Amino acid sequence: MTLTADTPAAGTATSSGPAIYFDGTCSARNDVVVEAGAAGLRIFSANRRLLDEWLYGELRRQAAPDGVLRLGRHGETLLARLEIRDAALVSAIEDRAVTLDRGGAAERRLRRKVVILSLAAVVSLIFTAVIGVPVLATHLAPLVPIAFEQKLGNMVDGQIRATLDTKHLGAGFVCDAGANGAAGRAALDKLVGRLTAAAALPYPLRVDVVRRPDFNAFALPGGHIYAFQGLIDRAQTPDEVAGVLAHEIGHVAHRDGTRTVLQAAGLSFLFGMMLGDFVGGGGVVIAAKTVVRSSYSRRVEAAADVYSVGLMQKVGGDPRALATILARVTADKDEGIKILADHPDTKDRVIAIDAMAPAGASTPLLGAADWAALKQICAPSPGGAPTAPASATATPAASAAGPAYGKDPSGGTPAGSK
Amino acid sequence: MTTAEAVSSPVAAAGAVRFLGDEGAYWRLRIKGAALVVVTLGIYRFWLATDVRRYLWSSTEIAGDTLEYNGLATELLIGFLFAIAILVPLYMVFALVALELDIVAVTPALIGFALLLLLGEYALYRARRYRLTRTVFRGLRFDQHGSPWRYALYALVCWGIVIVTLGLAYPWTQAFIERFKMRHTSYGDLQGRFEGRGLSLFWRGLPIWLLVVGVPLFAIGGMARLIDWTMLGNELAASQGDGDSMNTLIKNNPQLAEAIGIVIAAFSASVLVGVLLYPVFQAVKLRWWISGLRFGAVAVTSRLRIRQVYRVYLRLLLYLFLLSLLASIMGGMTVAVVLGIVGLAHNATLTQVTIGAMSLLLYVVFMIGSSTVYQVIVAAGLWRLGAQTAALSGEAALDGVRATGTASSALGEGLADALGVGSI
Repeated sequence: MTLTADTPAAGTATSSGPAIYFDGTCSARNDVVVEAGAAGLRIFSANRRLLDEWLYGELRRQAAPDGVLRLGRHGETLLARLEIRDAALVSAIEDRAVTLDRGGAAERRLRRKVVILSLAAVVSLIFTAVIGVPVLATHLAPLVPIAFEQKLGNMVDGQIRATLDTKHLGAGFVCDAGANGAAGRAALDKLVGRLTAAAALPYPLRVDVVRRPDFNAFALPGGHIYAFQGLIDRAQTPDEVAGVLAHEIGHVAHRDGTRTVLQAAGLSFLFGMMLGDFVGGGGVVIAAKTVVRSSYSRRVEAAADVYSVGLMQKVGGDPRALATILARVTADKDEGIKILADHPDTKDRVIAIDAMAPAGASTPLLGAADWAALKQICAPSPGGAPTAPASATATPAASAAGPAYGKDPSGGTPAGSK
Repeated sequence: MTTAEAVSSPVAAAGAVRFLGDEGAYWRLRIKGAALVVVTLGIYRFWLATDVRRYLWSSTEIAGDTLEYNGLATELLIGFLFAIAILVPLYMVFALVALELDIVAVTPALIGFALLLLLGEYALYRARRYRLTRTVFRGLRFDQHGSPWRYALYALVCWGIVIVTLGLAYPWTQAFIERFKMRHTSYGDLQGRFEGRGLSLFWRGLPIWLLVVGVPLFAIGGMARLIDWTMLGNELAASQGDGDSMNTLIKNNPQLAEAIGIVIAAFSASVLVGVLLYPVFQAVKLRWWISGLRFGAVAVTSRLRIRQVYRVYLRLLLYLFLLSLLASIMGGMTVAVVLGIVGLAHNATLTQVTIGAMSLLLYVVFMIGSSTVYQVIVAAGLWRLGAQTAALSGEAALDGVRATGTASSALGEGLADALGVGSI
């Protein structure tokens, strides 16, 4: 504060008017006269004493009601304020101080920049979700210890079984009891043994046939594969069962259980935490996640098909058997909405498999006796078998519904039902 | 700076609190903001929140001077990013611990939930500090001290007590929490405090409690005496709990069906009465809270009437009705036109995708529209009512306050936002 100039300098270039001044150290309201000079504002008390001088460059507009220009000083820790209602004086100050952004043009430019940058961020995050997350998951999955995946598999195994076992069969849900069950089990183990001997797997497999009438099979994280009775019933050769199992073994070999968990976590982070936080955003997030996850899943399924063809060739089976059973079972089924499907179109799968695999004769992977035993794996045994209502499930109800667990991140990826 | 009439009478009656805001301007701000929030999938919300606060603060005049909000949207954005940096590792730790302990079970999930609740209350308290230190009045800022962890702990314990006592303890826990907040609040060197008494809120809220909680409780208690519990217990133990045994259970115990019916009726009536009386609760609580605020010698009283709050909610219903009408007409027309165009392509997949996308769009527009209507009519409406029905006494003490305190970080705001517990 300079006390030298005791009176406002008179001149044509200056305009002055009344204002309210708060000095930032005390809440007292001071009625003052403000003079807009050449370099800045000079604030005079009612008795013409100079209270303060603010340079135009340091003036900042503060939030205020309509019709009030509220000024603060840039870079000050104290919050001294000047409130001016005199329209002529406001206009004179805005003429001289560019930092005040008359008409709000600079603010509008800033807002436009914010919106454009946000849109760029949204586009970039969507690209990351569609392309970056699966690549990252593929590279991270081998680094995750096997023990982690097995633990994860154990956790979901009980839940999955409880959901599948709608008739509460308990231990009888898995087909391996009684004479028929034991013989079928032996045949299944022989088939799985031939496949696993050729496949280099990160952990041991466990394959179970369960009493479900649908045409489906899926692998859980940790290497537990479930094949449905409906698959065994509808298979016409052992190689068809082997082709589907080889597809599931492909999921195990590719660590798809871990990959799916990693992808789901990445998606939740991008769409749940970074984006979509507004009323009604939940719907957008769910829709975006579903579409993106389906696209991941289709790629994973295509890779498992490739694996199946390779493995079947290695063990000397019919590499086209998977295509054969897929084409037969889903001959006339509605494919649904393409971008929401978690498996590629069956026709495309069949064409892709046939293109990869050379046609030619091959010997069946199981002998006639073993194949007959496998077909009977779920049949009720003559004596002492658990009284499971196997007859009720023996006539498979065509399951037009999609795979029950394909969309559950921890639920493995079903092979066949599309 | 277009309309000056709102402030053309700068000096109101001494001690008055006024709301100078123009609702039309607020509608424009909110609608434009909502559209930008949708387009940017939520990123614009920090700028919208800042605009809203600048409007509400600037429109509130206390003893002749308006409040000023001087927070920046970029501060909120940075606070949010900080919160993400804290929460993501935390969520990962939760997931790993659950996996390590090999339990899908309830205990770790419950502990995690309690921790998140605690963090939520912590965030709310720090967010309040951010807002107070960004609130300027007559050239001085407000301030808040006190440990946010302590506050979070108190708040959680209070919620526990409220749940255990079926809401009867709410007035006292609320008074306790408000005392804690205001004891640590100051305007410059003017110390805040809260003088609302739990007992006075209790007496005013008791009729609501009796109707919403008491009557159904009484009905359920009466029913409990009708049932032969020992027999029921034996049968329950014998049955396996699926649908069939439930049917036989009801067949053998005819009074059980009746009792279940009465319990359901009591609950439905309770919910209905609760919805109808919610404005009363709002009015009673708001008036009690405003009347309890003190800063040094400055005391606030509120003359808020219950019917004023009802009028706010009736207006909300009217606007929501209009919004639904508008949404169905405009939505129906748009869907018809777009499907007509898409139908020309005779592509089933394209049609299905279009229907999906349009329903999603309609859903989002309706949700964000309802939220905007609620924000303008109820949230800002109650703010306006609260301000206009409040009066100060001892306001001379506001003239000689000295500055203290500095601005605080927006981490709390970010956490509150990321945890979904934020307010205005």
